[in-house]
Amino acid sequence: MSFRKPSVLPGFGLTFGFTTFFLSAIVLLPLAALVLAAASMHWSDFLRVVSSPRALGSYRLSFGASFLAASINLVFGFIIAWTLTRYEFPGRKVIDALIDMPFALPTAVSGIALTTVFAQNGWIGRYLEPLGIKVAYTWLGVTLALTLISMPFAVRAVQPALLEVQRDLEDAAETLGAGRFYVFRRIILPTVLPALLTGFTLSFARAVGEYGSVIFIAGNLPMKTEITPLLIVIHLEEFDYQGAAALGVVMLTISFVVLLAINLLQAWGRRSRVRAAH
Amino acid sequence: MSINLDQVTKHYSGAPVVNDVSLDIGDGEFFVLLGPSGSGKSTLLRAIAGLSGVDHGRIALHGRDVTHVAARKRGVGLVFQNYALFRHMTVADNIEFALRVRHMRARARRQRRQELLRLVALEGMDNRLPAQLSGGQQQRVAVARALAHKPEVLLLDEPFGALDAKIREELRRTIREVQRELGITTVLVTHDQEEAFALADRIGIMNFGRLLEAGAPAELYSRPATRFVATFLGAANLFLARRTADGIKVGATIMAAAERTPGAPEHEVVAVVRPEEVEVAPSRDALGSRFMGYGVVDDVMFTGAFERLRVRATDESGAPLLAFAEGDANATLQVTRTRYAQRGFEVRTGQTVAIGVRRLHVLPTPLSSFTVCAVSAARAEGLSRQALLAELAARMKTRIGLRIEPGLGVPEAACEAEGAFVGATVIAGEDGCAQRAEWLLQRGAKDLLVLPAGAQAPQRVLIHWLGDAARSATLGVSASVLRHVPAEAVYVGIVAADGASAGPQGMRELLDARSEAQAAHGLEMRTELGFGDVTQELARRLAEAPASMLILGVTDLKRFAERFRALLDGGAWPVLIVQRAAS
Repeated sequence: MSFRKPSVLPGFGLTFGFTTFFLSAIVLLPLAALVLAAASMHWSDFLRVVSSPRALGSYRLSFGASFLAASINLVFGFIIAWTLTRYEFPGRKVIDALIDMPFALPTAVSGIALTTVFAQNGWIGRYLEPLGIKVAYTWLGVTLALTLISMPFAVRAVQPALLEVQRDLEDAAETLGAGRFYVFRRIILPTVLPALLTGFTLSFARAVGEYGSVIFIAGNLPMKTEITPLLIVIHLEEFDYQGAAALGVVMLTISFVVLLAINLLQAWGRRSRVRAAH
Repeated sequence: MSINLDQVTKHYSGAPVVNDVSLDIGDGEFFVLLGPSGSGKSTLLRAIAGLSGVDHGRIALHGRDVTHVAARKRGVGLVFQNYALFRHMTVADNIEFALRVRHMRARARRQRRQELLRLVALEGMDNRLPAQLSGGQQQRVAVARALAHKPEVLLLDEPFGALDAKIREELRRTIREVQRELGITTVLVTHDQEEAFALADRIGIMNFGRLLEAGAPAELYSRPATRFVATFLGAANLFLARRTADGIKVGATIMAAAERTPGAPEHEVVAVVRPEEVEVAPSRDALGSRFMGYGVVDDVMFTGAFERLRVRATDESGAPLLAFAEGDANATLQVTRTRYAQRGFEVRTGQTVAIGVRRLHVLPTPLSSFTVCAVSAARAEGLSRQALLAELAARMKTRIGLRIEPGLGVPEAACEAEGAFVGATVIAGEDGCAQRAEWLLQRGAKDLLVLPAGAQAPQRVLIHWLGDAARSATLGVSASVLRHVPAEAVYVGIVAADGASAGPQGMRELLDARSEAQAAHGLEMRTELGFGDVTQELARRLAEAPASMLILGVTDLKRFAERFRALLDGGAWPVLIVQRAAS
């Protein structure tokens, strides 16, 4: 195994140089600055800030709601992608374009729009109110906002994979005696599983970092509906830059661990499949 | 019988893709469905497998009607052109798929898998992934997988399409051996005639969704019944010949004295000569076979075992011999010669040679060629360029002649053009054409196509005849037309409004017509029953659907123009009139 592999396009040295430079300048340097800022704190101060009950509550909400939102998108994103790739119907192109809307919308606008609809006197909220369901200003609202803004990632990740599943495979399975559910479980799902995981990861990552849309619908009650990014902003407004940096480092670490875990899971899935071959 | 198809029809957006196909395939038979792409052969195979439904007709497997049974309960094995292996599963898992679905025990599964891998010569490949196999090996796995659950019928959809020539031949042999060993009824779809010859017990040839002919390879090759089969199955030279009292005449020479039909009126026929049945020699005397004419060698191609010649052939008077329209790129005579013949007489491009024919086969097809008839040359030429006519002639690989009749339609006027009417006569469908049609029919035209200027390829052809004498001829002409257009055929039986008692007879006529069309002309058609006046009823049914055409058989011409004016004048539909006098 050599470090450099021959490729159709020349210029490995140049492109690798650019890759490291850009990653350093745009990703690594700011992150290092963040860690440094936090490192200038005293160890006990750091612990106090990051393990305060308010901070712990915000982690729970931020990561819990993001996980929930990504899970919801995993299911419904798959269904939407399935509908768009498998069926021809009038307006398919329009719906396909609509998927990307949350990308283009300023997140604050999404938040305001959701609040209008789900507030106690909103279009839908007023009918949910008598049933005892409160969406706006609860964790439910947070999850809803995160689901909305991270939905395109799930759909767009699965779509190409679904296009790849040949109809012939399903036909073959059917002639071999498999029922619909069996075909789905044994043929379609294994083929799109890597893409589904990617969609989940992207959705989750996007949701964890979300700020704009959530603050309008969350109500921002400390301990209850306060997300970590908001807590960071509150620290900043109090000119407590070190505290903000400390929370940032915790978010960074948790996110990194979660994403790494999913990536390892994917790699393990690929390896185990190759291992089966030998 | 293993597979019974009865009038299976499948439409896609209005047009029939599989059109009234009826077929019986015997136990253990290797049947090959052969046809150009888009002929409906793959759709038919998918219909047998149960992967696509049918709009009409029945499918039975081993006597069990499965028309409405799901694919997974039909007990068939299907092999696809692109293998369709499950890429995330090993070879073993792929092959055991059908067994797992059936909850077979692991040990029995393993045993069956070993058996199948031995059968397709892939022992020891159990744990490979499809991606680690070559194309040929992948297709072997697909065959083993399709056989795992011991299906009663094996279906193969262009299984060699994605493989290169050498592997293809190897796999072909494997499939043939497996089929023989298991004695499993097999249907294979292909567009490759060599493949069909190599594998088939019987070949069925499809075009435009219709099954044109089915039979043993050698029989179909030497005695095709249709132009399409003659030219699709191997190369063929088509001649317009004349059936005379003395035999079959091409140009001025009698080619096949054996086919003597004393007493029958002389008429034009289509003759097939295979390239290997043509002989070329330096002079007429040097020919070992019957002389047909002279030709100039256009092209000489060496292909190893054989030499292929293209010869521009004319009869003794210099008129082109082949049926193709003048200027058509195919209008040269194809000749193949063995090494032995090449040593005897070396041929170079530009050389003039004498042409002889060893064996000639006359097609039973009644529509030999078209002759456009009009009052002036300009009009006739205009009509000969009509889109539908040009299309039909091209598909039938025949020519369109011209016939000028200045007196066309004038009562009492005589024919001015010399000679009898040849092939089908064509006139423009416009006001007053009923009169002209009558005029031509009275003067000897047998088959007359009344063609409106804007006529398009029909999607529905209605068939009706008045008088029993015209029945057989009408069915023959209908079969000939329907082989060349993707349309459905409907026989309309009409019971006169006043004759309520004629009911049962009308029904019997309907059934007789259908079985005769099937048996004598290989034509599958629907039957419908109408009541009332013939002209009105036909006009009503023609107007029901767009792009309809009528084929009308008549025996007596009394008040012809008057009776059928509503169908002909105005040119709403193409109408093909078949006239046969009652004897």
